[in-house]
Amino acid sequence: MTRRGILLAVFSLILVAALVFWGNMACNETNELAPAEIREYEGVDLSSINDFRENSIKGPQEIDVESYTLRITGLVTNSTSYTYDEVLDKYEHYKKVVTLDCVEGWSVKILWEGLLVRDLLAEAEPLANAKVVIFHAYDGYTTSLPIDYVMDNDILMAYKMNDVVLPPARGFPFQLVAESKWGYKWIKWITEIELSDDANYRGYWESRGYSNSADLDESFFGG
Amino acid sequence: MTNQQRVKKTIHWLLTVLVIVYLLTGFGITEFRIVEPLTFGLLTKSLAQKIHINLEIPFIVLLVLHIWLLPLLKRFKLKH
Repeated sequence: MTRRGILLAVFSLILVAALVFWGNMACNETNELAPAEIREYEGVDLSSINDFRENSIKGPQEIDVESYTLRITGLVTNSTSYTYDEVLDKYEHYKKVVTLDCVEGWSVKILWEGLLVRDLLAEAEPLANAKVVIFHAYDGYTTSLPIDYVMDNDILMAYKMNDVVLPPARGFPFQLVAESKWGYKWIKWITEIELSDDANYRGYWESRGYSNSADLDESFFGG
Repeated sequence: MTNQQRVKKTIHWLLTVLVIVYLLTGFGITEFRIVEPLTFGLLTKSLAQKIHINLEIPFIVLLVLHIWLLPLLKRFKLKH
């Protein structure tokens, strides 16, 4: 290959990259998901729902709320299954501004509204040997968190962001607000919460080289 | 070929390769759903991200060398 050919290839690559970037920007501008969202809460400026980058493993999922069920399974005394309305009606709701930090380098500050995961788990009564909470999503994505983290912190399972119901592209019906964890722990389209004693369990990205603890103050590689 | 030309050529080649790898790994992070199957699973998102992050400093060093090395060498040569 001549030098001119190589330069041409490099310029072509840069051109393709620029086109993809421009395409993404154009998509972000046209796909208005929720014009009624709030952008300020108690003096805190919020990001927009449209500021997220779509980086799920199989693209946005459309879940039929009529047939949707949330299952609590594994090491619990009462394995249960809820409809969407049952989840919303049964538990107390909370609001909280939390920032999602993605390993790709972007972040969004959002007002999340939802119920506490620990309230859900308390109802199911975890067994004494349950160590890990494994979240399953509609698209096959999984991630896990230590049960102590879920029980000792106010971890929300959100159904609203910036005062509007989660759009399908943002995880309807429920997204986990895994505060102080990297974005890949913030699982969307939750369908099942499983309690396990397998401390070595690794979720989708965790089994592909990302840290299992995913603490924001640590590197997201390894561990 | 003089030493100066050899150095210049080496830097140009390294920078070219690095720019291509930098772009590919960038795509490997943001467009992993396309890049991973295209590379038969070799360039995973996490691997792409590791490579991309580790290339930042070499990229800057090579770019600076690419821009400033020849003028500096010329100036050096002129003074002596």
